[in-house]
Amino acid sequence: MNRSNDPLPDTPACPMSRAGAAFAPFAHEGMYAFFADIRQNVPIFHSPEIDYWVVTRRRDILPVLRDAERFSAEIATQPVCPWPGEVTEFLKSREFTNEAVQVACDPPRHTRIRKIAARFLNVRQFSFYEDDLRALVRGYLDRMAGQEEVDLMDAIFYEFPAQVVFLLLGETDFDPRTIKKWGDLRLNMIWGKPAADELKEAARDLADFWDYTVQLVHDRQENPGTDYPSFLLEKRGGDDDTLTMNEVCSLVFGLLLAGHETTTNAAGNLFLELMRHRDQWDKVLGDPSLIPNAVEEGLRYASSVVAWRRVAKTEVEVAGKLLPAGSRLLLALGSANHDEDRFDNPGEFDITRQNPRDHISFGNGLHACLGAPLARLELRILLEELTARFPRMELVPDQEISWTPTVSFRGPGSLRVRLNA
Amino acid sequence: MPTITFIQPGGTRQSVDAQIGLSIMEAAQRNAIEGIVAECGGSMACATCHAIFDDETIAKIGLSEGDEDEMLDFAATPREPASRLTCQVEVTDALDGAEIMIPETQI
Repeated sequence: MNRSNDPLPDTPACPMSRAGAAFAPFAHEGMYAFFADIRQNVPIFHSPEIDYWVVTRRRDILPVLRDAERFSAEIATQPVCPWPGEVTEFLKSREFTNEAVQVACDPPRHTRIRKIAARFLNVRQFSFYEDDLRALVRGYLDRMAGQEEVDLMDAIFYEFPAQVVFLLLGETDFDPRTIKKWGDLRLNMIWGKPAADELKEAARDLADFWDYTVQLVHDRQENPGTDYPSFLLEKRGGDDDTLTMNEVCSLVFGLLLAGHETTTNAAGNLFLELMRHRDQWDKVLGDPSLIPNAVEEGLRYASSVVAWRRVAKTEVEVAGKLLPAGSRLLLALGSANHDEDRFDNPGEFDITRQNPRDHISFGNGLHACLGAPLARLELRILLEELTARFPRMELVPDQEISWTPTVSFRGPGSLRVRLNA
Repeated sequence: MPTITFIQPGGTRQSVDAQIGLSIMEAAQRNAIEGIVAECGGSMACATCHAIFDDETIAKIGLSEGDEDEMLDFAATPREPASRLTCQVEVTDALDGAEIMIPETQI
């Protein structure tokens, strides 16, 4: 892997160095306040803890996301903390051959594959699932209805997006316990600081899920349906130049990685902020037509993806800083979504805001999230159904919100509410 | 500079002088025209800058083709014969007087 050499020298007194020393890449508490403090003066700084250049402003992040010529996405899913050799050896022994096909893949390969995937993963196709998604949500709410107090993450937000992914894969009524098992350590493995035993367990889970994926794709070869794997196999038409079988399996594998916790966390963040800002919740109750904008403001104010990675393919200038080829960039999407340059009173959660959709929580450029319309649909349905069923819902007071320590993903570990306060 | 009129779903009309060489999408965004979302920033990886052109203009600039034509099939508002992705249409003098309808929804 290309690594940047020593960071360009800065004196300790310089705001850039201070920012680098103060930045806690895996911590989420206080993250927005940290960026609000420095954004005006520090558009870019080096984080020695992870050896990444952190870019803080929207106007500097967008050109990087839009420039696939000079910035490679191949780093996007590499472990932030490199795995020991035994983990890669283990995965190899389990024939874990998942390869970069979308989010961590550059053109021209990315272009070929995206064109195919986009014919299934698009807003029109997703809209056909709306009734099924609503039925799923109502099922969860029915099960919650008798209880006084629930943890929304545990009761609905964790499982629902995974069930939606399995619906797209043609698997209805998938065992939620398996979802939990496969999901628990996955993000931590790539974007966190996993302990050695966690890493071992995560690798085992990852390999198990890969085996499941391969089996699923083979099943669809035998018995095609109207689902995503069947669609990919049909487009492939037996032609490796269009898509290889390993690429089909990797696309199917990637769907759960991309579509699960990101949406789980987005739902947790949205409802946490709506509960914290009671006037905003009441506005939704008073005028449900505000729901789509409330969803966007949730995505802006508290993105579930707060940072994304690129690596410079050549010498580049980013935010006025000249960086050598191989420099690794952490694009602070969360900070960009609070950039004063674009958003008035960015620290205010306002569901009637005029331009929340200018957030870049789904990225931008040729890697812009293909699942974005699905995430929006899921969040809209959740908000419609939960406000209608439990309008008096409120946070259990004095609860501490914990965040999973990863550089990219942010969402509450639990969210305890009283349903009929 | 050619003058282009954007028409919102409710009928509101906004005319702007568009800079030659930009895409219609960029011209719309620079002039704060609502409803041209362009989530992918103009890399033809989404269909959120969809708009419908008037017949006279489309006769001059041509219908969508190739990848653009395929992407339009996935637009949130069903496409029409004169639908284009505005990121793929360059502002030229031929666009002077164009009337561009913004669709009901892009996402």
